[in-house]
Amino acid sequence: MKLTDNALERLRSAVDLPDLEGTRYRLLEKLGQGGMGGVYRVEDTMLSRDVAMKVVTAPDGDGDLAARLMREAKVIARLEHSGIVPVHDVGQFPDGRVYYTMKLVQGKRLDAYIPELGSIPERLRLLQKICDAVGFAHARGVLHRDLKPQNIMVGPFGEVLVMDWGLSKIVREQEARNTAVISPKGGDENEVTAHGTVLGTPGYMAPEQQSGSGTLDARADVFSLGAILRFLLAETADVSIAPRSRALRAIVDKATAQDPNMRYDSTAALSNDLSAYLDGLSVNAYPEGALAKLWRWAVRNRVWLLMVLAYLVMRTLFILWRTR
Amino acid sequence: MHHNDHFGNRAAFPPTRGSLLVELRSENPSERQRALDTLLSVYWKPVYKYIRLKWGKDAATAEDLTQDFFAEVIERNLLDRYDPKKAKLRTYLRLCIDGLASNEHKASQRLKRGGGVQVLPLDFITAEGEVAELEIPVPGNEDDFFAREWARSIFELSLARLQQDCEERGKAIHFKLLELYDVDEGGKEITYQDAARQFGIKPSDVTNYLAYARREFRKIVLQQIRLMTASDEEYRREARALLGVEPS
Amino acid sequence: MNKIVLGLVLGAVLGAFDGLTAWFTPEVRSQLLGIVIGSTIKGLIAGILIGYFARKVNSLPLGILFGLGVGLILAFIVAAMPNPAGKHYYFEIMLPGSIVGMIVGYATQRFGTTPYPATR
Repeated sequence: MKLTDNALERLRSAVDLPDLEGTRYRLLEKLGQGGMGGVYRVEDTMLSRDVAMKVVTAPDGDGDLAARLMREAKVIARLEHSGIVPVHDVGQFPDGRVYYTMKLVQGKRLDAYIPELGSIPERLRLLQKICDAVGFAHARGVLHRDLKPQNIMVGPFGEVLVMDWGLSKIVREQEARNTAVISPKGGDENEVTAHGTVLGTPGYMAPEQQSGSGTLDARADVFSLGAILRFLLAETADVSIAPRSRALRAIVDKATAQDPNMRYDSTAALSNDLSAYLDGLSVNAYPEGALAKLWRWAVRNRVWLLMVLAYLVMRTLFILWRTR
Repeated sequence: MHHNDHFGNRAAFPPTRGSLLVELRSENPSERQRALDTLLSVYWKPVYKYIRLKWGKDAATAEDLTQDFFAEVIERNLLDRYDPKKAKLRTYLRLCIDGLASNEHKASQRLKRGGGVQVLPLDFITAEGEVAELEIPVPGNEDDFFAREWARSIFELSLARLQQDCEERGKAIHFKLLELYDVDEGGKEITYQDAARQFGIKPSDVTNYLAYARREFRKIVLQQIRLMTASDEEYRREARALLGVEPS
Repeated sequence: MNKIVLGLVLGAVLGAFDGLTAWFTPEVRSQLLGIVIGSTIKGLIAGILIGYFARKVNSLPLGILFGLGVGLILAFIVAAMPNPAGKHYYFEIMLPGSIVGMIVGYATQRFGTTPYPATR
């Protein structure tokens, strides 16, 4: 039987499809391919709804991967927030591959959505929504640990959804345990080899996370958020940020400080500084002198200040005219 | 070689075996022979196509070189020098081919010697037909080219084995559905309803039969990869490269 | 503080201040108390009207424009009344009066709360 190149690819894809026999799921279509594995749209036949299924291709050498994913999924399942994509189920196929299902999200990945974002304020407000979702999780003791544009979806109404909570970190740890060097198949970044070297662009991972030293806390996610902010700002040619670019740059620098003690200590602190920037107020990341603060206050209140000034000038002119 | 038919048409993968390399070094002559048969059936086409396209040899020379290459394997135990720690089997063989093709005049002398050199019954006509549809490998991409042809060879043999298995188990339709959707061109246009009508089964059976055939196909392919690799690590790497999956 | 109260208070304060500036006009200095009281009441009325407008219409430009208009009209009424010397100070009263109206218009649009509709 002679196989054409197309047939070869079709067979390869067909073989890659998850074997759902014995599970409650029915395969509908493949949605995409990431570094960790394929993502599929499947039907949950018990609940008659479509969900997204991520099939993990990391080898489960010690048989522990499914259990660890399950533990993490339980933690994440308790996060009920409009910006957090819930995980529904974790399991293992008869062929040994591990999967987890989550809410099927309509929308675009942040890196694909970027061209639709016009102004800087829009981008900053988007990041604030991400901060809200991440802050919510932090308040419940859950770190994301893998924040990057590829893990953020933007829905059709501009709503933000943060995905792959903690799970991708577990999978990467599993992959790092094995000797296989991952060959990127979907353009996914931040791949880790068994030797701990970060492939691709490691810019979204906090230094303390990369080095594996010490306990991680919310500041690791703050670093990632700062890196995402840098990404959002780098993708724009909006020249109107120029006059206040120092303040914005200071926010990015503070969020992505190498030393966690120099960073914002929470997503709320980062979000507050962004709000201050958007409102024309001074930001914590960029301390200003009294004169600069006064100027900023005057600019913010320029309308009624001008009116008061006009009144005073007029009155003064009348007085002078009268007394001449 | 004791086969009467061409290697291209024979399903050469019997059920689970150990690694080919272990069998090749076996004391048992029939085990050694079986291993050689397997090696030949998987590699002869990729070798021929590689010599034709990468080395630019004409069909007749490529045929001679292919025969000579396997003669080296069989008579001179070419694989005795293979060290799994240094390279994949596939890479090692490819480098051996390069060595042979670059010393072509020595090879042609060997063939002209005659006597003691077996001529293998390989279907070079079919192989030549397939060469016509391929592109010359870009310099630096020879490994990819050879890997692709190796994959094609494995898949073709696995399909033949799957067909045989399905027929033996009374699941011929299962195989035909796989052929329809994943092998033949234009399978995408055929709906499950049409396929069900064509084979006289229910549409839901189409999904199930197809899933069965794909599952079995994957098992067979993984078995063959296991056979053709020398270590667990190589096996996982080759499976991942070939199928994009991590074997369990 | 709701918008009407804000308008009332601001109008009265600015009106009083505006009235006090009459001290710089020697001819009317003797009537300063009356001027201040009158100006305060004028500011009060203007403030209530402008505050009420702000409650009904949520538009900064319209609020400022309304304030300008009310300030101008009320200032005209005051300026139309001659002083004991029979003089009118249209310019000196109407112009600042309109600016004060604009300031109150701006403030009531920007600040002050509107009451929530009652739920049934």
